[in-house]
Amino acid sequence: MKTILKTLAFGLAAGSSLVSVAAMAQDYPTQPVTIVVPFSAGGPTDTVTRLVAAAMSEELGQQVVVQNVGGAGGTLGAGQVAAAPNDGYTLLLHHIGMSTAPALYASLPYAPMEDFAPIGLVTEVPMTIVARKDFEPASLEDLIAYIKENGENITYANAGIGAASQLCGMLFMDALDTKMTEVPYQGTGPAMTDLLGGQIDMMCDQTTNTTSQIQAGEIKAYAVTTPSRIAVLPDVPTMAEGGVENFELAIWHGLYAPAGTDPAIIDRLSQALQAALADETVGNSFAELGTYPVPADLATPAALAEKLEGQIGLWAEVIAAAGVSAQ
Amino acid sequence: MDLFSSISLGFSVALDPFNILYCFVGVLLGTLVGVLPGIGPTATIAMLLPITFSLNAETALIMLAGIYYGAQYGGSTTAILINLPGESSAAVTAIDGYQMARQGRAGPALAAAAIGSFFAGSVATFLLAAFAPPLARAALNFGAPEYFSLIVLGLLVSIALAHGSILKALGMIVLGLLLGMVGQDIYTGTPRFTFGLRELFGGLNFVAVAVGVFGVAEILRNLENEHEREVGVKAVKNLWLTRDDIRRIIMPVLRGTGLGSILGILPGGGHILSAFASYSAEKRLSKNPEEFGKGAIEGVAGPESANNAAAQTSFIPLMTLGIPAHPVMALMIGAFILQGITPGPNVINEQPALFWGIIASMWIGNLLLVILNLPLVGLWVKMLSIPYRVLFPAIVLFACIGTFSINQNVYDIYAIAFFGIVGYLLIRFGCEPAPLLLGFVLGPLLEEHLRRAMIISRGDPMIFIERPISATLLAMALAAVIVAVLPSIRRKRAEVFVEED
Amino acid sequence: MALNASKNDLASGAIFVAFGAYFALEAMRYEFGTPFRMGPGFMPIVLGGILVALGIAVAAKGIGKPDEEAAPPWPWRGIALVLGTVLFFAATIRGLGFIPVVLISGFVTAMSSVKNNLVSALIISVGLCVLCLLIFVVGLGMIVPLVGPWLRF
Repeated sequence: MKTILKTLAFGLAAGSSLVSVAAMAQDYPTQPVTIVVPFSAGGPTDTVTRLVAAAMSEELGQQVVVQNVGGAGGTLGAGQVAAAPNDGYTLLLHHIGMSTAPALYASLPYAPMEDFAPIGLVTEVPMTIVARKDFEPASLEDLIAYIKENGENITYANAGIGAASQLCGMLFMDALDTKMTEVPYQGTGPAMTDLLGGQIDMMCDQTTNTTSQIQAGEIKAYAVTTPSRIAVLPDVPTMAEGGVENFELAIWHGLYAPAGTDPAIIDRLSQALQAALADETVGNSFAELGTYPVPADLATPAALAEKLEGQIGLWAEVIAAAGVSAQ
Repeated sequence: MDLFSSISLGFSVALDPFNILYCFVGVLLGTLVGVLPGIGPTATIAMLLPITFSLNAETALIMLAGIYYGAQYGGSTTAILINLPGESSAAVTAIDGYQMARQGRAGPALAAAAIGSFFAGSVATFLLAAFAPPLARAALNFGAPEYFSLIVLGLLVSIALAHGSILKALGMIVLGLLLGMVGQDIYTGTPRFTFGLRELFGGLNFVAVAVGVFGVAEILRNLENEHEREVGVKAVKNLWLTRDDIRRIIMPVLRGTGLGSILGILPGGGHILSAFASYSAEKRLSKNPEEFGKGAIEGVAGPESANNAAAQTSFIPLMTLGIPAHPVMALMIGAFILQGITPGPNVINEQPALFWGIIASMWIGNLLLVILNLPLVGLWVKMLSIPYRVLFPAIVLFACIGTFSINQNVYDIYAIAFFGIVGYLLIRFGCEPAPLLLGFVLGPLLEEHLRRAMIISRGDPMIFIERPISATLLAMALAAVIVAVLPSIRRKRAEVFVEED
Repeated sequence: MALNASKNDLASGAIFVAFGAYFALEAMRYEFGTPFRMGPGFMPIVLGGILVALGIAVAAKGIGKPDEEAAPPWPWRGIALVLGTVLFFAATIRGLGFIPVVLISGFVTAMSSVKNNLVSALIISVGLCVLCLLIFVVGLGMIVPLVGPWLRF
């Protein structure tokens, strides 16, 4: 009932009289805050957002509502937030796609650096290089030799244009300087299905999608893409251990507000985010997924701005080199 | 653990009064939201998902499963009462269900759907409990070539959906397939037929197309000659099934259950075919195929059973392997994760109480659904006594708001208007909308699997014949065409002989 | 009219041909691809061609077989008002907000039936507005401004 009243109050407030009040930063927040997820409900980004939103609600003393605006590789939802009022009540939680979109989409209706005010990094999900369970190579070294030998005879699944799995594949093939046959899927679910069924050979995806299958022995893990081994998969070596240097990739998630939002509000949100990430429940839930919340010093506007800028540059090069485009 | 002790563990969880209460609340809410025009099961679950967050894992997932069945049944109710399917399987139910409603037989149609669903749900739950792991393994033998052949078979047998011209039905299927191609190509990222609108990159929204070609087109049909003709549905004759009805639905329910159970296990789109396949089978096997499309109760009971069986068995790949068969299952994965459980092969061993509790609660959910809905039949049927001039503005508005609330995408609403007028014209000129929707949902799958199979075979089409399952399915497709064409050839030959005499 | 053909068949055939041609022609602009890597143009060109052929077949079949029933009258008022409302809803829901749009849409759609008059249409639209507000905004927590930015002072 309380929720109902709050929603009603929110509707009325959004509708009319309280608009001017909303601008007052010191009272912020006086109404529920909406975090837009630019993907459909139930996906990994949605899950991360909902976990963080619940913890931020407690911290802010206001409901934090998650809204899914999926479509066009996350650019629809991001575009909607870029155009939203910069009063701190509409936020965006987006992943690495924020930095790849400018290279993938020729006509983007927003500029990631100019149209958003960063609030902070949320998590960096490690990636795993995995294969069907009866795939021949026994170790990472074997795998690399095998790929160099068999090249395009190996099928590599990705979850669609701009998906984490595709980005990882680009980097991986680039690092080995060998092409494999890419087989695109509509999302990670169907790709994982075919990997489990042995219909395709390899994939590289976030631990959120692969950990439980690896632990059950349904698929083979060859490497993690982080600088050091990760706790949930202690037996899986890093890329560097297998002799592939300079290969690091994590699917980072960041929280943004529209550009021009009052700095005091950004500070307040950043603090709330840091508190949410320190929350034990959030930490445990992230760990279940094979990831971890970023430390407090990264959940800051400066850290996210730096990450975003660096990544935009990196992906512009990699994507241009791979010749991939979404339009 | 043997099956018996597993199931008794499951029931000890599911029969906890608190869990029963939430299961019931889930079924009730699912039914009420699912019955809103323009909101199908996927949207219902997405909307109601947050309610379950505050509950513990078992209760939350039991409630969610309840929401799912409730939404399925609510969607069928809308299809039968006002010809507005919220998902592809309900489009099949709408064909004969709505005709029954127009003849004053909405009650028996709803009752047949409820009873068929309950029976199918019970059988499929048993399958899930007894054979889930081996069935899921078997389903993994289906790769791209097998799915392609299965969809070809499905398309060819589904010509039976039409009760008029076969040519027009084929045209509608192909038009649907083409409409399904709108949006970004998943292989290259090329936007197709989008007029440069990024809102269309994700493709046309199913609900928008369905609301247009079914709902809006039907309203325009009814407004054609308001003065002379009584529009909408006739006064209700009886609420319950007659003895004759019961006799007629027994076999369709059994066959639908079998077909749906098998197809639902296939994670790559099998469940979509279940309702269509059952309808085609019933029409073929019926002694009076001409009744189909004009209010045959078999055309409601069979597909509803098949759909519910498939809905149930589509939990098999999710619960045993952690892979989602369709958007609803993807939402379920999200819900699992939020509850701190990563769905995967280990759930059955690590969380036996949860695994078996959910399975047991599925059966209880189905039972509650039938208990809840048989009395509700009377209420739904009463809503039909609302004068049409009040009812249709409500349908239009609810459909717009419902569609908008799913993705907040106004182009989905423009699509309703576009498909409303196109659907109206086509129906006026003697075409039927159900084959179009079938084509629309299968189009993307057909293309996806064809192209993937060709990539995997490196451009060799023999892959479809070399793989035994695929070859068998294609042979069945060929047989289906021959069976469909033979009678007309024979008839023509008979005519020739008559003339010679 | 002395047309010795089924108007229904000719019209539906024409619609099929038009759609088939649009998809096939538009798809010419996309890559056709090879059997190994089929391009985005492959399926639409093939299917568009099939649809054109089917459209011609449907029309051809209707020649010499005039429709048995007279065509029903066109519901011009319904087409204009129902479709107009849907378009109006799409165009203004973000700008005007939930309450005004639902009120106006409900009223206009109700007016597309000749059985409604100004008063009954008004009653229907207010009733629907309250109902939709209760179901979608209060009950389901739909996130939409009740009165949109165009109407704020």
